[in-house]
Amino acid sequence: MKPLHHKYEALKKILRKAYFEKEHVEIGEQWQVNTMRRIRGLGPITSGPNFLVFFERFVWRLTPATCLLIIVGAIIFLKLGFFPDYDVLTLFINDTEELSLAQLF
Amino acid sequence: MPDHPHTTSDAEIIRRVIDGDVNSFEYLLKKYQNHVLRIVTKHIPYNEVEEVAQEVFVRAYQALPGFKKQGSFKQWLSAIAVRACYDFWRKRYRSRELPMSDLNEKHREWLENTLSNQSDLSFNKGSHTEEARELLDWAMDKLSARDRMVIELVYLEGLSAKEAAGLLGWSVANVKVRSFRSRKKLKKLLTGVIPT
Repeated sequence: MKPLHHKYEALKKILRKAYFEKEHVEIGEQWQVNTMRRIRGLGPITSGPNFLVFFERFVWRLTPATCLLIIVGAIIFLKLGFFPDYDVLTLFINDTEELSLAQLF
Repeated sequence: MPDHPHTTSDAEIIRRVIDGDVNSFEYLLKKYQNHVLRIVTKHIPYNEVEEVAQEVFVRAYQALPGFKKQGSFKQWLSAIAVRACYDFWRKRYRSRELPMSDLNEKHREWLENTLSNQSDLSFNKGSHTEEARELLDWAMDKLSARDRMVIELVYLEGLSAKEAAGLLGWSVANVKVRSFRSRKKLKKLLTGVIPT
């Protein structure tokens, strides 16, 4: 009589053969049609709201226009003689209420 | 089928599908249907193969934006197919739809003869494939969905723990432990049948 270990090895070999000898299932064209119909029914896939994709697609494209706008804006301000520091200083000096508060300290 | 030259790569087709060209997916379906069927046929009963294979492609389509282009699409699809088979069995076991077959005298007799000195010779004649298959189905029905998948992938197909872990989406340690336990369970099941 064979040892039990050898019996299991022989059985494993046989079961493996049986496992791999399963018949191949042939599927017709109708299966492909049905599968594609089901997939089309799901509609186009979207990767979901993704900030990086949104940034890449839309915000990044606006960069040249934004740069141009900044340059044009800076030129206009210079031409008009608008100096914000000077205006703030003038406002501070002319504001008497603020001055009186300052005198308290 | 949409017109795709043979040189068109999978990555290009995937990009088209993600960009909204659903019909391009048909190219991937036709290219990989036999590969998916080979996997599904091994794990699932014949009458359920078509439905599960369809489910594999639907899942692949839905998960396509998550596909990392660095890896192989075929390998990625294989993992989806194996997981779909695992889910099939989990669902089956949960709903208790599994017909519990039992071994009869014919199977016991076959086992006794098969384990004799002439076992390989008799099997190679091809007359007992059906009995071996039935015995395997009987043993698998007694195991859980997890044990079934591990036994099939590691014990029967001969995949490494790492390969099986990649397909199932489990850790390698989990596959090793599960493989050891399920093999013990299988041995216990067969001990009751094999005449000592």
